[in-house]
Amino acid sequence: MKNLIKSTLAFALATSALTGAATAADLRMSWWGGDSRHIATQEALKLCGEKYGHTVAPEFTGFSGYLEKLTTQMAGGTEPDIMQVNWPWLPLFSQDGEGFYDLNSLSETIDLSQWSAEELAATDIKGKLNGLSISTTGRVFFFNTTTMEDAGLPLPTTWEEFFATAAALREKMGEDHYLYNAGLDGARLLATLYMTQKTGQDLVDPDTNRVAWSVEDLTKAIDFYGEMVEKKAMNSIEQEAAAGNQYLYEKRDWASGKIVGSYEWDTTFFKFSDPLDEGEVLTATKPIKFADAVSDGIYRKASMLFAISKNTKNPQAAAQIINCMLNEPEGIDALKDTRGLPASQTAFDRLTDAGMIAPEILEANAIVMAASGPTLSPFNEHPEVMSIFSDTLEEYAYGMIQSDEAAEVIIDGVNKVLKGFDS
Amino acid sequence: MRQRLLGLAYLSPYIIGLLVFTMIPFGVSFYLSFTDYNLMSSPKWSGLSNYIELFTSDRTFRKSLTVTLLYVFITVPLKLAFALFIAYILNYRLRFINFFRTAFYVPSILGGSIAIAVLWRYIFAGEGLVNMMLTGLGFEAVNWFGDPQNALFTITLLRCWQFGSAMVIFLAALQSVDKSLYEAAAIDGASKAHSFIFITIPLITPVIFFNLIMQMVQAFQEFNGPYIITQGGPLKSTYLLPLYIYDEAFKRFDMGYASAIAWVLFVIIMALTLLAFWSSKKWVYYAGDKRN
Repeated sequence: MKNLIKSTLAFALATSALTGAATAADLRMSWWGGDSRHIATQEALKLCGEKYGHTVAPEFTGFSGYLEKLTTQMAGGTEPDIMQVNWPWLPLFSQDGEGFYDLNSLSETIDLSQWSAEELAATDIKGKLNGLSISTTGRVFFFNTTTMEDAGLPLPTTWEEFFATAAALREKMGEDHYLYNAGLDGARLLATLYMTQKTGQDLVDPDTNRVAWSVEDLTKAIDFYGEMVEKKAMNSIEQEAAAGNQYLYEKRDWASGKIVGSYEWDTTFFKFSDPLDEGEVLTATKPIKFADAVSDGIYRKASMLFAISKNTKNPQAAAQIINCMLNEPEGIDALKDTRGLPASQTAFDRLTDAGMIAPEILEANAIVMAASGPTLSPFNEHPEVMSIFSDTLEEYAYGMIQSDEAAEVIIDGVNKVLKGFDS
Repeated sequence: MRQRLLGLAYLSPYIIGLLVFTMIPFGVSFYLSFTDYNLMSSPKWSGLSNYIELFTSDRTFRKSLTVTLLYVFITVPLKLAFALFIAYILNYRLRFINFFRTAFYVPSILGGSIAIAVLWRYIFAGEGLVNMMLTGLGFEAVNWFGDPQNALFTITLLRCWQFGSAMVIFLAALQSVDKSLYEAAAIDGASKAHSFIFITIPLITPVIFFNLIMQMVQAFQEFNGPYIITQGGPLKSTYLLPLYIYDEAFKRFDMGYASAIAWVLFVIIMALTLLAFWSSKKWVYYAGDKRN
């Protein structure tokens, strides 16, 4: 009996000694998202934690306020071991590539071969792999095809057709019907779409780290937005603001099909289709283009990343958890498409083979992946750049400044921000 | 000696909390206001540059400061007048008076919450309750949030709606006024309005003064309402200074500049508070006051 006890104790000690070095870590992970993502991620963490003998404390919230919380934690060196990070935040946290743990040094634990070279390059700063893209996302047009069918109108494929369709829709369905919707951020995206289609260039020239667009071209892009409002293809900013700070999918006119289309992230399809009244059908469509467009102007980017804290005491354990969630069956099956279509090839294959991805999301994502356009700079979504765009476009929308002045203000303002990131 | 130590021990949680969560951040923010600090790297001393930029070239600051002062100067008198008016009515011995007192106090418990701000958004939205009532009565619908002239007014109303705490304090003050004074005034032929102006108001001036200071400080710090309802728009017409501080600190990562704005706001609040204290010598009457 004594021998049995001794052997059991020796085995237990040996096992704990073996696992202690590489595993049995207490980790923290933070992310933002909605309920479905929260539930799936907690399940994935439980399964992956059990698989490797770690415990991972979840810290989750909605998108609003996440950046502020993470910033405070990063400033104080108290950030979680594993973090979900928005791709445009990379320059904020890791201007020199040193803001996060270099995942290249964990390549024995994380199977990096599941990502394309282009995807890895998007999260690489100065040779340091700052995070792993969870999915690639982009903007697509969503249209309420039921309203269009009721009006007997085909979906527009060019901007020239678009204006004619908008006029016909109002004539057939009533003055309260709008073919399109854009708030202040939507106005920025419209101007960007105009520019990327007409010039083939992104906002930022990567060679000079300055705005690539000319004042003349951006003036035309702003005028294009103005024309959309003037021809009543969409509500003005003033009309939009009447609802207060409210999302499109919360609006009654969207649910009833009076607002027919919008330009949204492919992965948000169900966020926009679910609130529609019964019988209303939403469809993702290919980019609407100008006749003389040099590209589709697709707004495509790495949607979000998993990154490891540079201050973590357990990089190997964090890497095991990330690899499990993104590349191993336990994590893939638990997370499904709660963060969009997986960028990891093995996860994508596994989920599509199992029919776990909704066909609507697959269809929307296929449009994004097939379309052409310049590589986007993360500065497109730098908070200060976005606020320069929205403040200036708002002044233009309220008739306080002309389009040429707005273009000049935007370009000067964005260049000032970019200058702060000169190496 | 032992009793002193015991007293200090009892006080220590408060003193530690005051030091750690108030005094140290207070001092640090003053230092940071003279630095260029983006949170990710160490603060760099920049002297007065943040303050110089604020007062010479920052159009947003000027706009935000104007909006904030307008908001405070509209909200505080309106809220105090409304709170006093309701307290005066609730001071009468009416049927179900306790129910009404509770009901009028409820908004101030809920008022600062996110849920109420969201509800406010729906009430004043383009197709919200207020516009439904207006159009039902034959008036034109009003663009409450989209028109810069109206947006601040809706935010102001939200603040005024939270009059409950000021009302309760006024009610307590009204109840402490000696009834014999009213009886004497009535015998001398004073009307209710005269009694209110010449007896009630002077006797409750310490409470008016207290409420004035409290409401003014709180109004300068308003954040939830405009953040949730309008995000400071349109055209920054509801962009109060606390929103600007928040954006500079956590959206633009310029903690030094945000600290400078916070200190300007602090100085404004302090100056107005001192002004109120100075003026109080002329209009606030305390028990035992020897003035005529």
